[in-house]
Amino acid sequence: MTSVISVTGLVKTFGRTRALDGLDLDVRAGEVHGFLGPNGSGKSTTIRVLLGLLRADGGQVRLLGGDPWRDAVALHRRLAYVPGDVTLWPTMSGGEVIDLLSRLRGGVDPRRRAELLDRFELDPRKKARTYSKGNRQKVALVAALASDVELLVLDEPTSGLDPIMEATFQSCITEVRAQGRTVLLSSHILAEAEALCDRVSIIRHGRTVQSGTLPELRHLTRTSVTAEIERPATGLAGVPGVHGLRTTDHRVSFDVDSDHLADAVRQLTDAGLRGLSSAPPTLEELFLRQYGDELAAAGDVDLSRSRP
Amino acid sequence: MTPRPTLAGTAALLRFALRRDRLRLPIWVLAGAALMAIQSSSNQRFYRTPESLAAYRASAGSNAASIAFSGPPVGLDRVAGTIAFEISSPLVLLTVLMAMFTTVRHTRADEEAGRTELLRSAQLGRHAPLLAAVVLSGMTCAVLGLAITAAAAASGLPLPGALLLGTATASVGWVFTGATAVCAQLTGVARGVYGLVGGLLGIAFVLRAVGDITGSELSWLSPIGWAQATHPWSDDRWWPLLLPLPVAAGLLLLARGLLDHRDSGAGLLQPRPGAATASPGLAGPLGLAWRLQRGTLLAWGIGIGLLGFVYGGLAESVETLLGDNPDAQVFFRGDSAAGLIDSYLGVTLRITALMVAAYAVSATCRARSEEAAGRVEPVLATGVSRWRWLGSHLVMALAGSAALLVLDGLTTGTARALASGDAVDVLRLGGAAVGYVPAVWVLAGVAVLLVGGGLIAFRRRDVTTA
Repeated sequence: MTSVISVTGLVKTFGRTRALDGLDLDVRAGEVHGFLGPNGSGKSTTIRVLLGLLRADGGQVRLLGGDPWRDAVALHRRLAYVPGDVTLWPTMSGGEVIDLLSRLRGGVDPRRRAELLDRFELDPRKKARTYSKGNRQKVALVAALASDVELLVLDEPTSGLDPIMEATFQSCITEVRAQGRTVLLSSHILAEAEALCDRVSIIRHGRTVQSGTLPELRHLTRTSVTAEIERPATGLAGVPGVHGLRTTDHRVSFDVDSDHLADAVRQLTDAGLRGLSSAPPTLEELFLRQYGDELAAAGDVDLSRSRP
Repeated sequence: MTPRPTLAGTAALLRFALRRDRLRLPIWVLAGAALMAIQSSSNQRFYRTPESLAAYRASAGSNAASIAFSGPPVGLDRVAGTIAFEISSPLVLLTVLMAMFTTVRHTRADEEAGRTELLRSAQLGRHAPLLAAVVLSGMTCAVLGLAITAAAAASGLPLPGALLLGTATASVGWVFTGATAVCAQLTGVARGVYGLVGGLLGIAFVLRAVGDITGSELSWLSPIGWAQATHPWSDDRWWPLLLPLPVAAGLLLLARGLLDHRDSGAGLLQPRPGAATASPGLAGPLGLAWRLQRGTLLAWGIGIGLLGFVYGGLAESVETLLGDNPDAQVFFRGDSAAGLIDSYLGVTLRITALMVAAYAVSATCRARSEEAAGRVEPVLATGVSRWRWLGSHLVMALAGSAALLVLDGLTTGTARALASGDAVDVLRLGGAAVGYVPAVWVLAGVAVLLVGGGLIAFRRRDVTTA
């Protein structure tokens, strides 16, 4: 399978800050690739290098078979980009911005544009200054989704959308994948990535720490479980993959690797299960768990800080 | 005494505003004092003798254009009178602009940016931001008036007249503080407020210009007319200043009333919806640059065109205005009457070219403000090269400044030709203006060098936000 984006050992420094520190990323044709990491981990910096807006200080970067810095203009005709923080021209209407950006990418399909405006419930006549964050994001999304390109680069595109629009966005991305197009989706919402992505890359401090399909990464995810039980669940401690078990009277709480969730729940049922609540871990929790030892040793639990 | 809840936090806001403006406001005040001091010393040098004063009365004092610019020709038999005649309009203009920018900065601009909302969620009354802004603006007007008084008195002019000129100037600032406060309730956009207040200032200026030229009562409809009716250093009349105070207070009460009838963040006037689709012209970087800059270019065109007409129209009276003034003759270096007019037109053309250069620089700098606002990324992420994007704003600067220069030459020439009856003047002055195009373009080139590090360097550097 051919790579649409291929990054190895990417380094980008801003003064003394090392924003990207040997990052690797491989996005294959036709897949939706999740680009995950906490705030400040280097997702947007990587995307801006991929778009030729920033100049890489080291490493190899290939985008659609070209050099994103040297061949920027030719490559940009084949991709559409939605920035994480959408700023628009305040005196222009949303419709004008959509048309402008679409034409700069080589034309707009009026039927598709009208359909997307309808699905995202966006009023194209309002001036950009009167749009909320979510509506500004919708303007950029409609412009990107309406254009006929091979690659969509989306930088946290749903951070301002409500749950209904989030669902609309997910169905649009599913359609895009069905058309055989490629999507790079940066996010810090694990649920969104799980729903949409074929493969994900997780980065932290400007480095790729995990990369692969979701089943491959399944071992990373743990579910938090809190349960009310009648009798002590003595067998629980023996279940592999159970971590951080705490018991108080008739209440137990623990984290369990997703592979062993069924075993743990069986133990709870045997102990007379009366109430159960479980929550999949957020990406932040995942990071804290996965790298908790290292963080504790370093005395540093602030994930957004870059490495000294 | 307990403060009213709608005014809670005004004092804290005022202190905060003073801290935010601790550099800006002193610059306005110093600029006013400097204008006053320079005008005073140069007039005292130019018009030392009774003969030169008589010539001044016969020329400037009876010339419609100079009266339209300055004010009522009163007390021109003394040097102090000529100073008041010439400096009051510039001082009023400075004070009104200061009052407008200060009031908007702390009312509508903050509200538009969303900062007021954050503050209002704390223990802050509904009227507090407005009151703090108008108190700040009003206080600065007063300080500016005192600075004018001090500069005038220090340059050797009588103190009572100096105090009157300073107070009269401040009074116009107070009226326009009130007017700005009202306009800030009407529209939801700071730029819209500038437009409304600028329009009011234009109306006030034209009313008093027509009134002063025709000697009619029209000047009494204008706050600028009230200030100039005080006749500093001649009649020293204080009573016209009874008018601006109640008007300013009335405008403030009106602003408060309007504030009570609108939502936070919104204006009373609803914004018009925009177009649902873009016009065919909005299809590339140049179309975008034109769309973003056309309003500014149009405003410059109107201003430069009017200026050209006025300068051209004034040419006929230059001879009488400067004929008897040896200092001015040296300044313009004219030998004959025709030569005097030509060198006058040359000087005005150079002044206008300097203004057009300011346009060229600001149009070029638009590229940097677009980049700093983060609006370049979505454009550069399409099939637009960096050269084309920066070039589009440069085209606006170069073509726009050339067009403005030609417009200036043609309007000056047309006004001159109407007086001289010689249509060749249109072409002559139009051609002379074109001669300034290369000089203006050099300045635009320097600006683009500073903005992008030049076209070459802009291709090689990171795109940055502020």
